[in-house]
Amino acid sequence: MTVDDWLAALAAELRRRRVDPAGPVGEAAAHLRDSGRPPLLAFGPPVAYAAAIVDSLRGATLELRRPPSGEVRLRATKITKRYGRSTVLDGVDLSVRAGEVVALIGANGSGKSTMLRICAGLLSPDSGRVELSGTVGYCPQDGGTADFLTADEHFMLVGAGRGSSRAAARAQGRAAAAALDWPGAERAGEARHLSGGTRQKLNLVLGQLGDPDVLLLDEPYQGFDNGTYLDFWQQVWRLRDAGKAIVVVTHRLSELERADTVLDLTPGGPR
Amino acid sequence: MKKTLVVAEMALREVSRRRGVLVLLALLPLAFYYSRRGEAYWQSVRFVSLGIGWTLSTAALFAGNAARGIEPRLRLSGYATHQLYLGRLVALWTLGLALAVPYFLLIRFDLDDVRYDAIALILALTVAVAPPLGLAVAAVLPRELEGMLVLLTVVAMQMMLNPDKAAAHALPFWFTREIGVYAVESGAGPDHVVRGSIHAAIALAVFLTLVAIAATLRLRRRPHVSIA
Repeated sequence: MTVDDWLAALAAELRRRRVDPAGPVGEAAAHLRDSGRPPLLAFGPPVAYAAAIVDSLRGATLELRRPPSGEVRLRATKITKRYGRSTVLDGVDLSVRAGEVVALIGANGSGKSTMLRICAGLLSPDSGRVELSGTVGYCPQDGGTADFLTADEHFMLVGAGRGSSRAAARAQGRAAAAALDWPGAERAGEARHLSGGTRQKLNLVLGQLGDPDVLLLDEPYQGFDNGTYLDFWQQVWRLRDAGKAIVVVTHRLSELERADTVLDLTPGGPR
Repeated sequence: MKKTLVVAEMALREVSRRRGVLVLLALLPLAFYYSRRGEAYWQSVRFVSLGIGWTLSTAALFAGNAARGIEPRLRLSGYATHQLYLGRLVALWTLGLALAVPYFLLIRFDLDDVRYDAIALILALTVAVAPPLGLAVAAVLPRELEGMLVLLTVVAMQMMLNPDKAAAHALPFWFTREIGVYAVESGAGPDHVVRGSIHAAIALAVFLTLVAIAATLRLRRRPHVSIA
C-alpha cells in the first residue's frame, strides 16, 4: 500500500465517521514525510487509525445529537399489546419529529419490533392510537424481499407503488445502495444469491425508496460489516438532515449516542 | 392498472426463474394424460385438465406463500390490496395459458372423434379456476406442505369419486367431467357445456371472493392508524 493509497483510505474512513479528514490526514502526511516510515508501520491499518482518531475526538462527535425542532410526523399514544396473558407493551407513548432519530431499545421480547409494526399499521394494538403525517417507509427485521427478483427489479416494483418511473426507481435504489458501500447493485443477481448482509442492504434501500417522510427501521444493519454499519449511520444522519423522522429498533448500546432520543421498552426501564 | 401489471410482470419473472418447477409443471399433466391414453382415451382429456389444474393451483399456492413476506411492504409503498392479488393472478393465468396451449395442440393431433372446441373450453376454464383455488388455499393454510396435501386430496377425490355422488359435484374441477362428457361422447347434448360452464363460473367466483376477503383482511389498514 503506497502512502497516497493509505492517506486516501484514511480520509474515506474518517468521512464515514463524519470527521473532516483535512486536519488528521494533513498531520499524518506530514509525519510520514518527515519520518520516511511506511504508513502501515507508522500508524497501522487506516481503519484502525481512523477509529483511534474518532475515539480521541469523541467529545466533538456528540454535537450530532441535537434537540428536534420539526413538526411531529409520528405520534403513538398509550399503545398496549398483549400476547395471551403476557403484556408486551403497556401504555407506551412515542413521538418523532421531522429531522429526528429515535432509537427504540429494550431486552429481547420487550416488544421493539411489535411497537414498530404497530406504528407501521401492520399489527393492531389492544389499545392506543397512531397518528402519521406523510408517507411511511418500513424495513422489517427479516424478509421483505423476493428470492427470485434482482435488486433492480425490487427497486422497480417498490418504486412503482410510490409512483416512480422505472428509471427513477432504479437510479434512486442504486444511489442508496452505493451509499451503503454496495456500488454494483445493478449487477447483482437474484436476492436468494446475495449474502445476508447484502440482502439486508437491499431491504434497507427498499425502505427508503420513494423518499418517505417517516422511516421505520427494524434492526436494519444485521449482517453489516463495520464499514457498512458506519455508512448506514451516515445515511441515517443525511436523511435526518433532510427532514425525515426516523425510528431505529436496536439492541446495540453503542448506537444510543447516535440517536437524538432513546425510548427503552425494557419493563421497568427508563422511558 | 399500471401497478397491477407491474406486480404481474414481477410475478412472471419470479416464476420464470424457477426452472425446475417449470419443468415439472410442464411434464406432470403429460403423465396424467398418458396414464389414461391407452385403455380409456376419453378419460385422458379429463385427466390432463386435472393435471393442469393441480400443477397450476400448486404453483399459485407457492406464489401466494412466497409473496407473504413482501406484500406488507408493497402495501405500505402505495399498492392497493386488489392490485397485489390481481397482479399475481394475471401472472398465473398467463402461465396457465402458456401451459394449456401445447396440451390442446397435443390433443388436437393425438385424438380423433372428439369435440376440440369443448376441450379448449375445459382447458380455458381449468386455467381460470386453478390459480384462485391455489391462492385461496395459501390464504387459509400458510404452510406449503399442508396446502399441497389439500390440493392433492381435492384433485384425487375429483378423479376417483363416483360422479353420481353430490360430493363430486361440489369439488372445484367437476366442470371438467361435465364438459368432458360433451367433448368425447358424440351423443351428449350441449346442456353438459352449460352446466359445466355454470359450475366453473361459480367456482371461480367463490375462490376469487375468498382470495379478495383473505387479502383484504391480512393487508388492511388498521383502524388505530390515522394518516394526515
